[in-house]
Amino acid sequence: MGEPTLRVVYGRVFGVAVVGVHGCLINVEAHVGRGLPALTLSGLPGAGVQDARERVRPAVESSGLEWPLRRVVVNLSPAGVRKDGPGFDLPIALGVVAASGQVPGRHLSRYAFAGELSLKGELVATAGILAVAIAAAQGGLQGVVVPEANLAEAELVEGLQVVAAPSLAAVVDFLRGEWVPEPSRAPRAPPDDRSSTVDFSEVRGQGVARRALEIAAAGGHNALLIGPPGAGKTMLARRLPSILPTMTRQEALEVTRLHSVAGILAGGGLVDSRPFRAPHHTISPAGLLGGGSGFLRPGEASLAHQGVLFLDEFTEFRRDAVEGLRQPLEDGRIVVARASGAVEFPARFALVAASNPCPCGFDGDLRRNCRCLPNRLDAYRQRLSGPMLDRVDIQLPVPRLTRAELLGSDPGEASSIIRARVEDARDRQRARMASSSWRCNAHMPGAMARREARLTDRAEALLSAAVESLTLTGRSFDRALKVARTIADLAGRERVEAEHIAEALSYRAASPSWEVAQVG
Amino acid sequence: MPARGWPKAFASAPGDREALAVLLSLVSLTPRRLLEAARGRGSASACLRAVRAGRLGSDGDRAYSQKLDGAAMLAKLSSTGARLVAVHEGEYPGELLDLFDPPAGLFVRGLPLGRLQPRVAIVGARNCSPGGGEIASLLGAALARARVCVVSGGARGIDAAAHRGALDEGGASVGVLGCGIDVAYPRQNRRLLERIVESGALVSEYPPGVRAEPFRFPARNRIVAALAKAVVVVEGAAGSGSMITSDHALDVGRDVFAVPSAVTSPLSWAPHTLIRDGATLIRGPEDLLVDLGLEAADAEAWCAEGHPTAAGLAGAERQVWEALTAASPPDSLARRTGLALPEVVSALVGLEMRSLVRHLGGRYERRAQKRGSS
Repeated sequence: MGEPTLRVVYGRVFGVAVVGVHGCLINVEAHVGRGLPALTLSGLPGAGVQDARERVRPAVESSGLEWPLRRVVVNLSPAGVRKDGPGFDLPIALGVVAASGQVPGRHLSRYAFAGELSLKGELVATAGILAVAIAAAQGGLQGVVVPEANLAEAELVEGLQVVAAPSLAAVVDFLRGEWVPEPSRAPRAPPDDRSSTVDFSEVRGQGVARRALEIAAAGGHNALLIGPPGAGKTMLARRLPSILPTMTRQEALEVTRLHSVAGILAGGGLVDSRPFRAPHHTISPAGLLGGGSGFLRPGEASLAHQGVLFLDEFTEFRRDAVEGLRQPLEDGRIVVARASGAVEFPARFALVAASNPCPCGFDGDLRRNCRCLPNRLDAYRQRLSGPMLDRVDIQLPVPRLTRAELLGSDPGEASSIIRARVEDARDRQRARMASSSWRCNAHMPGAMARREARLTDRAEALLSAAVESLTLTGRSFDRALKVARTIADLAGRERVEAEHIAEALSYRAASPSWEVAQVG
Repeated sequence: MPARGWPKAFASAPGDREALAVLLSLVSLTPRRLLEAARGRGSASACLRAVRAGRLGSDGDRAYSQKLDGAAMLAKLSSTGARLVAVHEGEYPGELLDLFDPPAGLFVRGLPLGRLQPRVAIVGARNCSPGGGEIASLLGAALARARVCVVSGGARGIDAAAHRGALDEGGASVGVLGCGIDVAYPRQNRRLLERIVESGALVSEYPPGVRAEPFRFPARNRIVAALAKAVVVVEGAAGSGSMITSDHALDVGRDVFAVPSAVTSPLSWAPHTLIRDGATLIRGPEDLLVDLGLEAADAEAWCAEGHPTAAGLAGAERQVWEALTAASPPDSLARRTGLALPEVVSALVGLEMRSLVRHLGGRYERRAQKRGSS
């Protein structure tokens, strides 16, 4: 006669590992077997998932369930996929609960489970749920079980049943057929409703800045605002998202997913207005570009995807942080490399940088004298030039307006009016560049810019004259062409004309001060 | 006692020039103190003996003077192309004796000072506005064309602009330094100082190697004023050194001219104060040359009304030009002319390409014009 066979029980549940912005279905297997009571996690769980070991047992016991006093092994497979973050609490707990026979297994394989558990067994708002839901839908599952707080984002995925539960106990009851979630209580976000609270009509004067930002929005150009403190640079930058074209649903979903993974959705649903991110200049490269150890979070540049990244006091940012922006400015994505592989975050944003004209801030001001010494001035100006700012097509000064200038100015147009023009211009660009892989003027390479411009003769002549009299460099020549092409698009013109070139030239980089320019 | 009381034989005997070189290196012997000592003792050598014996000057200077070798100093000077010009020597500018405390000697590099006549000084703020620099440059150029040598302090800002204006016109300039003749201060002006030496001269009352310190500049300013027959102040904020220069000028009976500018600019303080106190207001090179009694045929008008380039403007450019009476942002110009903002901006760029306007921090302003520029 052999030994009495121990009843070995096995349970399997789907979880989702979020890597970058994508989710990957993970089999969470639990095995309850012979041995001293212990909980082991295998399958290369990251630090965040290892944490789950501490939370899961109290959560299970608080939910009125039993924790098996046997040796429990939970395996997350495939082992090669990086698993991190707090979303595995629920599948691990359920796996153990299923393996100990406390929950019927027949429904388990239809859903993916995700969510962080509190020690009391409550399901807490968790980052990345939208990515989980998308992965579940792509994996052909029927539905997803997530914390109640994340209902709104999970519902954005079409064709997926969403079970939003307040606690582990509720999930177990659901699986036993004893509980049904209430019909969705999340308010449906009204489609295409601009809930932006800022508008260009609030800006007085600064007509040049408004015009320049319209051009930036229309052509996807980056902008540098230079002016003394208090001139209104932040106020202007903050309003740029309000004149960018309305996001398509696909774009909005992309943004929502990024914000979900970053944990900043705060229970909201679809993010339908373009993001505006303004990190402080002390931000680290990881904070700006993404990364971190363990769970790879998107950086501010990715959170500004499809929106505006505003770098105020541009010269004060860490050089290594700013250098890292070159890649996203080039191809609209950030690749974070790790030993386990590279993770890509989308990051296509409009860059708006702002700076003082000099260290004291008052170079060129009418009422206050600049007190900067030439060495400091030169060093400061150096930081305003260079490879980073070579990609900024539009530089504009934002002067501190005198009272007379402010009082005499007209109130600005509403953002919706400007946005309509911007959208028309974008349509024209897309149509013209349909056969290429670019969709806006700012991204055109130099040679293409020259072809697309289709300069009139007068425009050609003006540009040649400008190279002489304004000492244009090759790069500023290209930038002027691209900006002129956008100005022509805004005017509905097929060819770039002389006045478009002239206006584009007014947005060129400020030449070195007259004094620095003297040699000898 | 009048300052002209430098003993005739102060630096004429053999060994006197070497002694003078040492005396000029001694910090406690201010020009005035040295003058009084010279009147008592008669010659530079006698003064030096007194210092070395402890009867004149501080203890520190006595010790220092024992270590210095005047002959070696003079030899080193001439190997660097410089020379020491002692009082009453042929090259020493007699006008300096108008001062209460003329220098006993000057270190000079460049052409003989006697050939660099007549001289007019142009002084002003280091952190001048681009407009002020332009004006200083035009004044320097006009003086150069009238064969007047431009004197200034070799500092950045107005001084440098005035020097350049004269040199670019092929004229001569004298730079009076607040440091040794071999010290390029500020560093950015090194090339400019070399150019000054090539067609004019650099002058200093400090021996070679002396570094520039702020306290040396007021003393240097008195030499700028005394070397010239007139001083023109272009820009200066409250507390500017150009006020010191003009005070010295008045003390020695030189004419003071001042260029006005917008009252809202902090840099208009010095010229406006001087004008209120009686300095002569000049609107440009023409006024200056006329007041100096120089041939005004080549002088150019200040503002460009009726100027060929401005006269040739048409359409939007002309309208914008005419509306541009003070530094204005394009918005204001759009309102004034009734043109659309993009049109105004392109007109401004066109004007900028013709060198008629300048862009400064979001505003555009007219530039001063040289007649005959295309």
